[in-house]
Amino acid sequence: MEALLVPSLAKIDRIIQETPDVRTYRLKFKDDSISEKFSWQPGQFVEFSLLGSGECTFCISSSATRKGYFDCSIKRAGVVTADIHTDLEEGDDVGIRGPYGNWFPLDDIKGKNLLFVGGGIGLAPLRSLIQYCIDNRGDYKDFTILYGARTSADLCYKEEIEEWKKNTSIKVVLTIDKPEETWKDNVGVVPKILEEVVKPEIANTKVITCGPPIMIKYTLQSLDRLGFAPKDVITTLEMKMQCGLGKCGRCNIGSTYICKDGPVFTYEQLKALPDEF
Amino acid sequence: MSFSTFVTDKDGLQKLYEAIISKHETYAPVEKFGKYDYKKVSSLKECDPDSPIAMTMSVKPLFFPRASKIMKYEATSAGTSIHETGQDQLSGPRVILGVKHCDARGLQVLEAVNKWDYIDSDFLNRRANTVIFSKRCDKADTQCFCTSLDYDLENLDALDVAVVSGPGGKVYLQARTEKGENFLKENLGKESAAGSQQALDEMKKQYEAFAASFRLKMDYKDVNEKMSKRFDSTAYEEATRNCVSCNTCAFICPTCHCFKISDEKIKDTGVRYKSYDSCNNVYFTLEAGGHNPRPAKYRRWRQRSMHKFVYYKERFGVNLCVGCGHCAISCPVNISIFEVVNHVAAAPMEV
Ligand SMILES: Cc1cc2nc3c(=O)[nH]c(=O)nc-3n(C[C@H](O)[C@H](O)[C@H](O)COP(=O)(O)OP(=O)(O)OC[C@H]3O[C@@H](n4cnc5c(N)ncnc54)[C@H](O)[C@@H]3O)c2cc1C
Ligand code: SF4
Ligand code: SF4
Ligand code: FES
Repeated sequence: MEALLVPSLAKIDRIIQETPDVRTYRLKFKDDSISEKFSWQPGQFVEFSLLGSGECTFCISSSATRKGYFDCSIKRAGVVTADIHTDLEEGDDVGIRGPYGNWFPLDDIKGKNLLFVGGGIGLAPLRSLIQYCIDNRGDYKDFTILYGARTSADLCYKEEIEEWKKNTSIKVVLTIDKPEETWKDNVGVVPKILEEVVKPEIANTKVITCGPPIMIKYTLQSLDRLGFAPKDVITTLEMKMQCGLGKCGRCNIGSTYICKDGPVFTYEQLKALPDEF
Repeated sequence: MSFSTFVTDKDGLQKLYEAIISKHETYAPVEKFGKYDYKKVSSLKECDPDSPIAMTMSVKPLFFPRASKIMKYEATSAGTSIHETGQDQLSGPRVILGVKHCDARGLQVLEAVNKWDYIDSDFLNRRANTVIFSKRCDKADTQCFCTSLDYDLENLDALDVAVVSGPGGKVYLQARTEKGENFLKENLGKESAAGSQQALDEMKKQYEAFAASFRLKMDYKDVNEKMSKRFDSTAYEEATRNCVSCNTCAFICPTCHCFKISDEKIKDTGVRYKSYDSCNNVYFTLEAGGHNPRPAKYRRWRQRSMHKFVYYKERFGVNLCVGCGHCAISCPVNISIFEVVNHVAAAPMEV
């Protein structure tokens, strides 16, 4: 019964403590034949279960161009995510269903300047696309990553960011909300740094953004002010989900299934939805 | 319609029902304390396939169970294993007698969401393995409005067999699908060529008196259009103020299909369930961190109304509400979706 909702077992290969409340779980399916078939596009998500505790929705934060594993970066937020952080260790098994949902419009962004704007754990879905684009670097023009967090400790993927910084074909701009003694980069909220420091080129640029709701709200306003067309701004939505596959009704906004028609939308598409997210 | 009609009489019908019950897993309306539900029966005495009026419960749980097991699992220090609960054990077709037209149409409407993109083969298999004998109510109950919602007498293929009583104790058994046709042929033998037209004429004749018995009537396409233009109307708040968010309306509705997934684990073994949930539930959209896109009751009721009368139709081409009235009959505070949507449709445009 209910075959659609049965997960497959995956093993936790590595756990990386990103910030005090975010950990990246590097996963591999236990059954090789599932691993071989499992492929995803940047922006897609999985239903992740800690058996006995429950199931949660997480984007896959790595790119399928990096073979042999996939990552979920998980912030401690509520009941199940707290259990995940407390109970799971390297070598443990979890349940995975997916991949589900749509993905970033890979054809539309080809040949364009890319501007990634991320805040906090919101870098997780962007990271999948960033890795994908780095692995296909020739397909894109300018490549800018603006990433911010409340404090320097809250920045995810610190080691990887160092690698991005070393890559001369990528411009990395980091910011934190308030000054810290040892911090040498920018200070200020993401939208401010976007307008005052990054000052992006508008022509031929696609913006891909994800972050906490408040950051998204002001970032969208900034992008508007800077002159970006809503169709050139791409984001991913976080509606509560259960099935992830268009059956349970949980994620609906109007007649849109966020889990199937999304989670990736352009700002133009978002504006057409009823204001219910 | 190219299917056959079989003519029998009341005795013949009783015998057929008895034969079906003895041979097949059979469900039929059973009355308990004045409430009707479709229950598994082992003799005709236990049930009333001719029950004259709307059911209290819909037939939905026989296709979409109130709670079903997704899987069982063991998680110990030695490792984790998942045991699928397997396919339903269906031995030959199940039969449901006395299904009301609204309930049968509810199933038909639900097919769309179960077969777009990912296919819910559990739901579809249960439907494919069930023969639905349907009898229209004799008259409308106080909260019924099925005749206002695309009720199409001639093309009701949500039923496999329509049971129509005619003059002089005659009973027409009209096959509405190939499945119904084959089932009747196996169980009754001789069909009647003339019966087909007679049954239809009889249904039409009886329909007039039936339609006249409705207290509630609406032009739902007009309501649908007006609702689309009144998303921000304060009328939702006015009409749903008394709701206690108990979810009864959804659990009892033939077409509500929202569900939740939950785990129950004791020591090392656990079960994962799929069970009913409702958009009227305050937790439905509450996210970790406290954000809730539909924190107020009227917003949840707006979602319920719009889904029933606008969104599902936009997405799948059919109205989700079939006008059975089950929700209004069982609501503890007497809220009726008929009244809510009509109140909104009649509200002024400005907010
Ligand atoms: C498409 C998508 C991608 C996401 N990607 C990530 C990610 O990469 N990293 C990350 O840390 N978080 C991500 N989230 C948010 C994450 O799903 C929630 O933080 C998580 O489900 C909270 O679960 P909980 O049990 O700890 O919270 P509780 O509040 O105890 O929630 C109980 C249940 O409600 C559901 N739920 C609660 N909040 C949310 C929510 N915001 N979104 C979806 N379901 C929710 C879950 O099924 C959860 O098990 C994503 C959400 C969506 C919709
Ligand atoms: S049955 Fe009535 S009180 Fe209960 S959720 Fe529905 S409308 Fe509200
Ligand atoms: S909303 Fe009410 S009237 Fe409409 S189908 Fe559901 S239970 Fe019946
Ligand atoms: S999460 Fe179930 S329908 Fe979208």
